[in-house]
Amino acid sequence: MRSNPSDYEMIAPGSLHAIVSLLANEPGVWVPIAGGTDVMVQYAAGKLAARKLVSIWNLPELRCIEVALGEIRIGAGCTYTDLRGSEVVGREFPLLHRAAQWTGGVANQNRGTIGGNIVNASPAADSLPALLVYDAELILVSARGERRLPYADFHIGYKKTRLANDELVQAVCLPRRFSEYFGYARKVGARNAQAISKVCIAALGRLADGVVEDVRIALGSVAPVPLRLTQTEQTIRGKAIDSHLLLLAKKAAAAEIRPIDDIRSTAKYRAAVAGNLLAEFLNRLSSEQAGSERGRVKGILAQWNRLSIDEATEAILPCCGSKAWAQGMVARRPLGDEAALLAASEDTWRNLTPSDRKEAFRNHPRIGESKPADSSSTQSPSAKSVEWSAQEQRNIADADSAVKIALANANQEYERRFNNIFIVCATGKSVSEILGILRRRLKNDAETELQEATEQQRQITEIRLRKWLQG
Amino acid sequence: MTDSRDRRAKTEISFTVNGEPRKVHAYPMERLLDVLRQQLQLTGAKEGCGEGECGSCSVLMDGVLVNSCLVPVLQAEGASVVTIEGLAAGERLHFLQEAFLECGGAQCGICTPGMILASTHLLNGNPKPTMEEIREGLSGNLCRCTGYSQIVEAVAEAARRRTAS
Repeated sequence: MRSNPSDYEMIAPGSLHAIVSLLANEPGVWVPIAGGTDVMVQYAAGKLAARKLVSIWNLPELRCIEVALGEIRIGAGCTYTDLRGSEVVGREFPLLHRAAQWTGGVANQNRGTIGGNIVNASPAADSLPALLVYDAELILVSARGERRLPYADFHIGYKKTRLANDELVQAVCLPRRFSEYFGYARKVGARNAQAISKVCIAALGRLADGVVEDVRIALGSVAPVPLRLTQTEQTIRGKAIDSHLLLLAKKAAAAEIRPIDDIRSTAKYRAAVAGNLLAEFLNRLSSEQAGSERGRVKGILAQWNRLSIDEATEAILPCCGSKAWAQGMVARRPLGDEAALLAASEDTWRNLTPSDRKEAFRNHPRIGESKPADSSSTQSPSAKSVEWSAQEQRNIADADSAVKIALANANQEYERRFNNIFIVCATGKSVSEILGILRRRLKNDAETELQEATEQQRQITEIRLRKWLQG
Repeated sequence: MTDSRDRRAKTEISFTVNGEPRKVHAYPMERLLDVLRQQLQLTGAKEGCGEGECGSCSVLMDGVLVNSCLVPVLQAEGASVVTIEGLAAGERLHFLQEAFLECGGAQCGICTPGMILASTHLLNGNPKPTMEEIREGLSGNLCRCTGYSQIVEAVAEAARRRTAS
């Protein structure tokens, strides 16, 4: 049943002061209308109970974004288009920025306001989960003055809020302390634009030392109010992300949400989607850490790329003791990532002369010893190379003395036969394995043995390059 | 009582429509859509859903795309409104109108005025949109005939010609 416009009054006083006075004089009588994207829909359906409306559309006092040191203040009259166009919102509050893109279509984003979304208090509103995870506070204004209220305390039930009947939402304040968090937001609805969400999520997380240091999760359309999942957050905080944690988190979330069947979806579907969104968030958070490690590797390489030739040669030499190899690597700069580094190393190593390769072998201690075999070598290996050798030969250091003696004897025999030290990639190999390999290789001809030793050094170099990239 | 009756009286609204200053007498809660169609006989803007979901009532208000079914006319006081009737220059069609004709972007025609105004708004802010940006710019406008492909192609073609000339 369509409404009759002659049944309604509407005024546009044009200033916040005049509007607040009007609300004070006749509390609860006047209903504010901003861009009309909710009020006019109720009006069209003949369901607008209020008969007196006061326009707050485009009030300069309500339509600005102020950036202060510790927080930003978004005027309640800012539209979704305003939020999308705000550089600071895009940079520091991307979850709100994304929710603004999902809300309605272009025309509704041009008229719908953040304050309207808050006061309309729909549990399905796209922007409200973002406000929850960002610890938003509201500034409410009336003729009695201003007050601040955490947004988390504002919605007290389905379409119920703490707004007094003479108050307006003036601004939303967002503390500027979440820009370092990993953010995740997703809306699940029938289509991206216009459709109201079946479930939507906004989540923030931060990892430290392999565990979730902090996490903040809020969902829309799964309860009478936009819901922060505080119990689920507690379950996740302090733990490493693995399949067990995903199960625990899903279980905790299922206990917190209270979805219903309605025109858009069913409780069962919403519960399943909520769990899946939560799992997707945690998986992305976990791979974000892998991504940041990739970023760190790139940083280390970028730094090395900038070094002088001598500095860069010295820096990479612990990975493989051949000076020609190190110089070859330096000549191939800039190298952008791990894959490029390893490919360059393989290629350089393959093209070295036998004497260059033997120089690399001589830089290692004999297997079972800690000092390089060739003390007459012009350069002694770096502290780093010595440290890595010790790590690589960890299994041998722990072996009993009978095996060590057998190894020392076999080493001597090898050196007499091939005039070089025995090279093997010892990482992950037991002493008896190494002894077996050594005895087998004693039967090689010189050419075959050089090939085997070359391959072993290639493997050692690859492992060392990966360690080197850890910084 | 007197007070209340006075306030429910019609009020005079002055605004610019398609470049011409207009004055109308209307109830403040009358929808801009109804004022345009009934008082000003500008029937290009259509009523589809009447609740801001379909975009067939789209017009530009101060250069910004709005659903005129959701705008109480009081809020249009002093504004500059452009409807589909305001795009062509006399007999010469607007370049978007031409592209829609050539690409088959109009079939039954109900969504077309809104589509063209949404496209105008898009190209004003973004003269070289990607296909994805065109789809997003038109996402609030529903069409039940074309399947959208010809419409998106029409906007892309219009953008190409305009940036080429």
